[in-house]
Amino acid sequence: MMVDAADELVETLFRREAGKLSAWLVRLLGAARLELVEDAIQDAFGVALARWPSDGVPDRPAAWLAVAARNKALDRLKREARSMPLDESAAWRLGFAGPESLGRLDDTLALMFVACHPALERDEQTMLTLKTVCGFGVKEIARAYLSTPDAVAQRLVRAKRKIRDLNLAFEIPEGAEMTRRLPALLDTIYLLFTGGYTAGEGEPLIAPELCAEALRLALLLAEHPRAGTGAAQALAALICFQHARAGARVSGEGELILLADQDRTRWDGALIARGLDHLQKAMTADALTAMHVEAGIASLHATAASFEATDWRAVAHYYAMLEELKPSAVVQLNGAIATAFAEGPAAGLARLDRLDGAGKLDRYALYHAARGDLLSRLGRCSEARDAFGRALDCPVNNAEREFLARRLQACR
Amino acid sequence: MPDFILFLHRQAGPPPALAPEQIMAMIKDYSGWADRMRKEGRFKAGDKLTNDAGRVMRAKSGRISVTDGPYAESKELVGGYYIISAKDYDEACRIAESNPHFKYGGNIEVRQVDAV
Repeated sequence: MMVDAADELVETLFRREAGKLSAWLVRLLGAARLELVEDAIQDAFGVALARWPSDGVPDRPAAWLAVAARNKALDRLKREARSMPLDESAAWRLGFAGPESLGRLDDTLALMFVACHPALERDEQTMLTLKTVCGFGVKEIARAYLSTPDAVAQRLVRAKRKIRDLNLAFEIPEGAEMTRRLPALLDTIYLLFTGGYTAGEGEPLIAPELCAEALRLALLLAEHPRAGTGAAQALAALICFQHARAGARVSGEGELILLADQDRTRWDGALIARGLDHLQKAMTADALTAMHVEAGIASLHATAASFEATDWRAVAHYYAMLEELKPSAVVQLNGAIATAFAEGPAAGLARLDRLDGAGKLDRYALYHAARGDLLSRLGRCSEARDAFGRALDCPVNNAEREFLARRLQACR
Repeated sequence: MPDFILFLHRQAGPPPALAPEQIMAMIKDYSGWADRMRKEGRFKAGDKLTNDAGRVMRAKSGRISVTDGPYAESKELVGGYYIISAKDYDEACRIAESNPHFKYGGNIEVRQVDAV
């Protein structure tokens, strides 16, 4: 029992503290030593796992882990000195560092700028962020990316090697450098969030954590005086609005609940208010980005008293703007759905059928489901049944399959 | 309990060249001492200063001059500091006595922080 409890605590602490420890140690030792830092942290948790069950858990476990990780890093620095001159100033910095300087938000932000360096590929950036900034394990990352732990580990090694060769300064960039490097951070956070938000089957445990991490990092960026640009504010707003609905999106049985059927009293009002605050700040920016428009759409949903009371004309108008800024078949699809609510099912269907020519959405269940919905509202039942049937032929998860089957049944 | 600053004085000039193992042993001595202070709940802050002598600024006939430090007449400079809490000067000195700085040929100046 005792052993299990300590094991569990170490695991929880790893998720909560590993990112902070990385940011702290990378500041002291330099971005080129990311690998050494991660190994030292791993060592420290190994010691905790070995000792705590018998010795008992220390009074301040996070501080204990920081001291242990610092000492392990000192050992590794000493070992490093066998093959190259000892980095004396790094060793002294480390020796004088203590848990008091742990958990600075600027360190986390600087570490994000390392992990999302433009020299890395997109998925290297997200994986490295999950690993070093968020403290996710290789297994968890593999689960989120539907990959194998070995493949993820290999990508991480490659990414860390690139970082080492770049010899980056550990800092929050300024001026033109900030402008150049910030978009990759925003993209990474956006991907973390959408990855968690639209998780398919098999990763129910990781999805809420991904969203929570994306929210934490987005707020961190938005609240920084230099990193909190208009686009960063818009991203924070978007995630606040979406995350505010998280509790109402899934039923007690784990079924997906659509926006129209969600219990709006279960939305997180404080988070929506925070989103509105960030949206307002986003509007002071000189450039309007796709993120602004997406946040605008989310704000209309988040502030509507009911599904019916939603300002669908404004939603449709925003989607038209989004189509210009970020043309994609999915955006067009959502625009057509908004048109259906703003101007009636016939207008929406006309737009959907114009999209059909593109053919890109043919394997996209939501497209056929939307057509089925509009056709059934127009009383064209047999066509609606065909559309729901085609939706069921597309890749869908269990919750979606049950939903579509119910709709198909209802078309009589 | 009041705070005391421990100024770690050392000989002016570059620190003696030591083998990596000796440097690492020295660092462990200092970090181990600070960790004991942390465990006792006395540790407030502490930093090593860079190895250069810094700058000294002086007002001279209405103008401020900046020269490389330390003061020409001084043979010592401050290499680092700690802030610890102690009951009084006697206790602060007793605690400072255990600091490895003496083992490495340095002196410690103990000053009480005038808490407001």
